[in-house]
Amino acid sequence: MELYLAKQDGQKGKKIALDDMILTKDMPTTAGSKMLENYMSLFDAEVVERLTASGYAIGGKANVGEMCIDLLGETSYYGAVEGEDGTLMTASAMLVKNGEADAAIGLDANGTPRRAAALNGLVCIKPTYGTVSRFGTVSIACSGETVTVTANDVSTAKNVLDAIVGHDDKDGTSLPEEKCAKVKAAEFVPAKRVAVARSLTESASEAIKQKIADAVDAFKANGIEVVEIDDSLLLTAKNAWNILMSAELCNNVSRYDGVKYGYRTKNYTTIDELYTNSRTEAFGELLKTAILFGSETLSDYNYMKMYDKGLRIRRVLSEKFDEIFESFDAVLMPASAKSAYTKADTEENKYIAYDENLYTAPATITGVPAVIAGGVQLLGKAFSENVLLDLAKKLEGAGK
Amino acid sequence: MDREILRRLEKLNQLQLTEEQKDSFLAFYAKQTEEMAILDSVDTESVERMVHVMPIYTVVREDKVIKKYSREDLQKGAPETTEGYWQVPRLVE
Repeated sequence: MELYLAKQDGQKGKKIALDDMILTKDMPTTAGSKMLENYMSLFDAEVVERLTASGYAIGGKANVGEMCIDLLGETSYYGAVEGEDGTLMTASAMLVKNGEADAAIGLDANGTPRRAAALNGLVCIKPTYGTVSRFGTVSIACSGETVTVTANDVSTAKNVLDAIVGHDDKDGTSLPEEKCAKVKAAEFVPAKRVAVARSLTESASEAIKQKIADAVDAFKANGIEVVEIDDSLLLTAKNAWNILMSAELCNNVSRYDGVKYGYRTKNYTTIDELYTNSRTEAFGELLKTAILFGSETLSDYNYMKMYDKGLRIRRVLSEKFDEIFESFDAVLMPASAKSAYTKADTEENKYIAYDENLYTAPATITGVPAVIAGGVQLLGKAFSENVLLDLAKKLEGAGK
Repeated sequence: MDREILRRLEKLNQLQLTEEQKDSFLAFYAKQTEEMAILDSVDTESVERMVHVMPIYTVVREDKVIKKYSREDLQKGAPETTEGYWQVPRLVE
């Protein structure tokens, strides 16, 4: 399996792998889907322009799961990526881990880049929503999806993040420059108190609990107070985000109809057959499931109890985080239930990503920043990336 | 959720599932709705909906042309075009 679906050689500078959710004018963008096989964008995504302007080299486009909503890229039309031991990995995580790329840029709509980083002992930053432009990313779940940076170490991740953070007029959800500047600040900020999410930790495997325990020890050894908290409300994030993500996805992928660009079936005589057969032949099962589920959450009889409820739960969660961050600098929690997954896991449960976002949805649905290091996840209040990165430095090297 | 509703959903979304995929979807949907009890356990009656996680600043701005693509550029990725138009089957008899 090729990790890069398209490569770009001969450039100078530190090499960046772009998840194939990021539009590039010189290389195809497939989003891991047959629908966009060989699709060429007319423009580069804003993050690509910022990276090249900062002297980074774009190494190529890393294979991703279809529309990046799966567990670890297993639904890619171009094939899943497995490590030598048979464990699933995303292509970008493998490229960074084996040194073929200095860092990877991903799109976190359902936690995939964070999950992959945690499973491979890498560092990943999902910055505060709105601080990195989404202009030129394949839209999936616009209200929560965020561009991410994955690297082998904190300082590389921070440098790449600094290159892409900033206001962009072309993204309607982009925050003003003065807000983005807080993320770009050079100084790391030491944390005094860290909360441990009790229920989320207890729900994970023994191996993951050990990673959390190791992180707690590392923090305590650095004089940081660590306190376990009741996180039962955070458990609602998974189902609320499943609804919101699917509803937004359903609308976002309605543009793929076989007319203006992308795959077109050969089997049609009417316009309805053209639409239906193109989408049926080009979309994978998980994507179809997400579309149909999302559509149903928006139906007149389900809207209030599903979609509307999801939006209200989002505010409840946001206010809960506000309350937590009045007393703590960060929340420590797992990024996945297990420390490794294989194809057998995804064959046994095709919808496993809808369960595994138990750990990633709290940050996605509220837009707060999250950092992965040492195989664990740290969440902080908006614009507290430098607090999370300072904590991450204390975990570097662990979790591999 | 039953197969009739699923059939309507498929039609609405211009998609078709195989019989096996329909069974899987119905099981998935049943699990999702069952798990939604956790959402119902939170009283949100007086809670305002939160559509955007951050305030929106740039929704309205002056219109200005910042980049212009030719018709040919815009149709480069089209599966089929005729005389500068996207080609689709006849819609009106």
